[in-house]
Order: sequence, then structure tokens, then C-alpha cells
Amino acid sequence: MSTPAIFAAVTGFDPLTGGEFLVAQNIAFAIMAITMLVSAVRMVTTGNVVHAALYLVIVLAGAAGIFILLGAEFVGVTQVLVYIGAIVVLFLFGIMLTKGSFGADDGVGGERRGIAAMVGALVLAVMAAALLDTFRDAELSRAEPSLTADVADLIFSRYIVPFEAISVLLLAALIGAIVVARGD
Amino acid sequence: MIAALTTPYVAWWALVPLITFAVAGFLLLTVASLVRRLPAVLAPAWTAVAGLGVLLYLVPMWSRVGRDGADSFLAGTVGVDRSSIFVTGILAVAVIAAALISRDYLPREDLPGVELYVLLLMSAAGGVVMASANDLIVLFLGLEILSIAVYVLAALHLRRIESQEAALKYFLLGAFSSAFLLYGIALVYGATGSTNMVRISAFLAQNVLVDDAMLLAGLGLLLVGLGFKVAVVPFHAWTPDVYQGAPTPVVAWMAAGVKAAGFAALMRVFVLTLGTYVSDWRPAFQVIAAATVLAGAVVAVVQTDVKRMLAYSSIVHAGFILVGLQAATDRGNSSVLAYLAVYAFLTVGSFAVVTVVSGTGDASHGLDAYRGMGRRHPALAGVFTVLLLGQAGIPFTGGFVVKLGVLAAAVDGGAYWLAGVAMLAAAVAAFVYLRLLVAMYLEEVPSGTETSGAVPLGALVVAVASAVIVLVVGLVPGPLLDLARDAVPVLVAG
Amino acid sequence: MYLNQFLLLSAALFAIGVYGVLARRNGVLVLMSIELILNAVNINLVAFAAFGNQLAGEVFALFVIAVAAAEVGVGLAMILLLYRNRKSIDLTQIDLMRG
Repeated sequence: MSTPAIFAAVTGFDPLTGGEFLVAQNIAFAIMAITMLVSAVRMVTTGNVVHAALYLVIVLAGAAGIFILLGAEFVGVTQVLVYIGAIVVLFLFGIMLTKGSFGADDGVGGERRGIAAMVGALVLAVMAAALLDTFRDAELSRAEPSLTADVADLIFSRYIVPFEAISVLLLAALIGAIVVARGD
Repeated sequence: MIAALTTPYVAWWALVPLITFAVAGFLLLTVASLVRRLPAVLAPAWTAVAGLGVLLYLVPMWSRVGRDGADSFLAGTVGVDRSSIFVTGILAVAVIAAALISRDYLPREDLPGVELYVLLLMSAAGGVVMASANDLIVLFLGLEILSIAVYVLAALHLRRIESQEAALKYFLLGAFSSAFLLYGIALVYGATGSTNMVRISAFLAQNVLVDDAMLLAGLGLLLVGLGFKVAVVPFHAWTPDVYQGAPTPVVAWMAAGVKAAGFAALMRVFVLTLGTYVSDWRPAFQVIAAATVLAGAVVAVVQTDVKRMLAYSSIVHAGFILVGLQAATDRGNSSVLAYLAVYAFLTVGSFAVVTVVSGTGDASHGLDAYRGMGRRHPALAGVFTVLLLGQAGIPFTGGFVVKLGVLAAAVDGGAYWLAGVAMLAAAVAAFVYLRLLVAMYLEEVPSGTETSGAVPLGALVVAVASAVIVLVVGLVPGPLLDLARDAVPVLVAG
Repeated sequence: MYLNQFLLLSAALFAIGVYGVLARRNGVLVLMSIELILNAVNINLVAFAAFGNQLAGEVFALFVIAVAAAEVGVGLAMILLLYRNRKSIDLTQIDLMRG
């Protein structure tokens, strides 16, 4: 992969063949990607738990945007509804109910952070090398956004077992959460 | 305009075990919430009957699959072959055993409710899904059902803070490893264009990938994710803490059931689906297996808590199973299945004894609690002796037979060094069991220990039955080995 | 748009999530970091689905979202239980059990 191609893959801009693909989409991608990465880094480094939850919201919203950019509108909407609407609210409840730990995440040993950073960098390096090696300059075809009806058809025909399994999973989680949280 | 949906073919007969476990759980939950005062014996009996029913149903299922061959249905997402039936059988046995042990455990610890049984049945259903998954999505969801239920089960002793700590630790590491597994599945999906195991293996057999770095990364992540679940080094760190903290009947289920489902998944994913890449993953498996048997055995020796000791010994067993799995041959697969079966009996029996000895509060797990047991509880000590000898792999026990099986599979594949390492580790691990035996028979009862009363029936039945089966398999290994040999895992396109 | 730009974004989120899980001591924050990894997985899945012009990846992403919801529910319940008893959700204080 040539340097301009890597640059293009990372930033979404291609200085050489910029006219070849959709500039607007790439600008949107670049904005969302940078916002997401910055928020994600802030999320895992900030000392304030509530701030971390809000940074998580930004990452999740960015991911929803990415899904829509990729034509997966239903997944994007579900991401907003379930992740931002439900899961983050759950997190905020969790943070409020464990009030004693507000902002109490400092004092992490530098050593532990160093090891974590090393592992994270290693993971990123391996993954990036693998991806760049495998897909090189593969471009996404500009297909139509996928239809929700098609997704539904697939769920209720080919993937009916996982769908049913999800219902059992949610029931198990429900029972489990009640049992655990009810206490004595 | 809504087009008519083509519904996929469903082989209901093959779904019966799965449906039985799930529906038994739902019914129990419903009845328990409607009827105010449920007889305490109903829930364990109901669970054990469900397990027994599944076990009995597996007999005609086994012969039907033998007659008609393996099948795949629901658009190729679920398969049924003899290996999945075999693993389902192990799960059913583990459910029955865990229910019987819990029967006396819950009242003793004053833990009301039927949730343990409901979650046990649900996690068993998840295990069955894993063992018969033909699609990585289905496999992952089965794993999640199993895991989420077990996380909660581990926290179920609400008055023991160790139980809660263990559960949280297990949950966070488990969720972390599930995320790795998912990432691995996503990468494999990207590299092969499908999540269906049949299509993946067909794709890999027909195409030679020039740039397979991403697939290899996916393989690695899959190994990390599943390695956590079956607790092999270096993904084993949670095991001793969780085994020590979780309620003992739950540990019996975790050690027997979760491990069986996890190894079934490993076998389906690596040996069947990614078999064409065996030369890439085998070295990793071999190194992990060697590290697991050695580290588990060495650390087990220095433990003073019997539950931690058994946790490390379960790590050693996981390493042994991996020794058979890395061969990636029919012989290796059948040795793995046989090992899982015998290991299930060894471990539920052992934890049944541990449950009895631990006493009210599920707290006395030190070696002290076992000193002089040979005199106080000759019968229980005798049963425990058989089970420990079986775990050590002494001849004339089932443990010896299956250990020999995995070693033979490894030698068959030319992995002599691995077989040598495994034998060395077995010798070291034998010392652990010896230490327990010495404590039971040769050491005096420490003063101040109250002699516990009668042994509860449920745990006794489990311990005695396991010991008998371990002995029978050791003396007449033919039938089990034949069953395991016939239980060849295959992937069939739907 | 290159496929790789999405995959690299996902890989970066994955790495940040791994860092978060390993470095943070607050149970809730660790759980959030795990959500970060699950999101990285979803971006991967949807990007592959768009690349291959097939929907399986999107369906899988929906299932992952459901699983994430279930995991968070159970996880937060456990964290609350421990908090009630320990008045802390600092994971480095989970140390009752030592070998």
C-alpha cells in the first residue's frame, strides 16, 4: 500500500485521486472518526465517571453515524435507540447509585497504565498491519442503503435461531439482574 | 407489499433437548412465581427430571443420527451430529448432578428461591446451542446465554461477599473475552464472507488466501475468547478465585458443564471449521496446552484451599483436553469427548464431596477440614479417594483411560514432546491429590472441629454414582470409548 | 471510501477499549470500555456487510447490540450488589481471595 493510499485510508481523503470517490462522505467520515477517537481516548483517561459516560455517548452517536454512512440505516437507528437511549441511561443509573465512586478513579499506578498502554498499542499495531495487508486499497462499492424489510426477512428466516436465542438470553439476563440486585 | 416469507426447514426432533431445557426453566419460573409456597424438593426434582428426560431422549436420537447421518437445519444455522449429542449428554449429566447437590445446599445456606435451578436450566440450554451450532452467530449467542446465567449463578450466595467478588471478576473477564471472541468472529466473517461454519470451511478449502493476515488475527482472537471460557493458560487467572468464591454446586456445573460446552465450541470452530488452517493454529494450541498442564500442576501443589486446588487441577485437565484437541484428527476428537465425559463425573463427584465438607456457610475449604476424614466419614472419604485417584489418572480408574487416550492421540500426530510434558505434569499433579489423601487418612482430626452430622442424600448420590462410574469406566473402558469413537463431529450443509 | 478506513477506526476503538479495561479500576468504567470494544465489532461487521453487499453482518450487529444490553444489565446489577456491601467498586480492592 502506497503512502498516499495509507493516508487516504486513515483520513478518508485521497490527495491523488480525490475526485474518484465521494468527497462529502469522506469529510463526514473524517469528522466522525476523529471525534469518536478523541472521545474514546478521553473516556478511558478522564477521572470523572460521569464525563466518561458522556464521552461514551459521543462515541456511540458517532458509530450510529458511521452505520448510516455505510447504508445500514436500521442498525444506525437501533444503535441510537438501544445504546444511547437505554444502555447509557443504565450506565448513568449505575454511576448515580454507586455515588461513592464519583470521580474516584485516580491513583492508578503508572505501571499498570503503562502495561495497559503497551497492550493497547500492540493490539492496534497487529490489527492495523493485518488489515492493511489484507484489504489494501479495497474500496466500498456505492450500493443503495439496505432495506429494513430485507433485514427483517433475513432475521425471520435464516437467523430465526439466533433471534430466539436472543430472547432466551434477555430473559436470563432479566432474571439474573433481578436476583442479583434484589439482595436479601 | 409484503412478500411471503419462506420458512426454513426445522428438524424438531433434533431440537427437543434444547427446547426441554429452556421450557423446563420457563415453566419452573412461572410456577414458582404463581404458587406461593412451593415444596422445597420440587425445583431440584423438576430440574433433575428435565435432565434425565433429555438424557433418555438422546438414546433414540443417537441411533437416528447413526441411521440417517448428521443433519443440518434452520437454514444451516443448527446442526446435529453424534458429537453434539454426546456433549448434550454430558451437559444433562452435569445439570442433574448440580441440581442434586443444590437440593441440600440451598436450605443449608438459607438461600430461598428457585432461581438457581431456572438459571441452571437456561445455561444448559445455552450449552446445547453451543454444542450444535453451525453458525458462528449461533455459537456466540449460545455462549452468551450460558455465560450470563453462570455469572449470576456465581453471585448467588448473596451473603458471602467472596461470592459476589468472584462473580464480578468472572463477569468482567468473561465479558472482555466475549468481546475478543466477537471481534474474532467479525474478522473471520470479513475474511471469508460468511459466518456459517460450513461455508467458511468450504471457502477456505477452495480458495487459497494470499493475504490471510486478517484471518489469522481473527483466529487468534477466537482462541483468546474461547480459551478464557475453558480456562487455559494464560487466560486462566480468574479460575481459582471464581471457584473459591462461587457456591460449590455452581462450581460443579461450571467445571463440568461450561468446560464441556467450551471445548465442544473449540472443536467445532478450530478442528471442523478452520481445519484447513491447522498448521497455523496447531503450534499455538501445543504451546498453550504445554503451558497449561505445567503451570496448573505446579501452582496446584502450593495451594492450601481445596477449592483452589481443584480449580488448578481443572486447569490441568483443560490442558490435557487441549493435548487431544490439537491433534485435529478423529482419534483426537474422540479422545477429547471421552475425556470430557469422564472429567464431568470426576469433577461433579469431587465438588459434591466438597459441598458436604464445607459445612454451613460454604466456608471451610482448608485442608484442615479434610484432616481425619477417613475416620469421621469413612464412606465419604472412600468415595473421595476414588475420585481423586481418578483425577490423578491412576490405572483402573476412568481418569487413566482417558488420559491415555489424549496422549495416544498426541503421539499419533507426532507431538512427542507435548505428550512428554503432559505426562510430567500428570506426575506433578498426582502429588496434589496425594496430599489430600494423606490429610484424609494419615493426619489427626484437629481439635475443636465439630463432627458434622449425616451426609445429605443428594450430594451423596452424586458422589457415589460418579465414583462408581469412574471405576466402571476404568475397569471396562470399551463402551465409553466406543461411544466417543462413534461421536465424530461433522459439519453438514443445510 | 476505502474499506480500510472503517476497519482502522474499528481497530483503534478496539485498542482503546482494551486499554480502558486493563487500566481503569472503576467497575462501571471497565464495563464502558467493554462497550467500546463491542462497538468496534459492530463497525467491523457493518463495514464487511457493506463491502460484500450482504446483510448478514448487519443482522449480526443487531444481535450484538442486544447482547450488549443484556450484559450491561447483569453487570451493573452485580456492581450495585458489591457496592452495597463494600461501599466501593474499585476493582483493585477485590482481594478477599488469595492463593
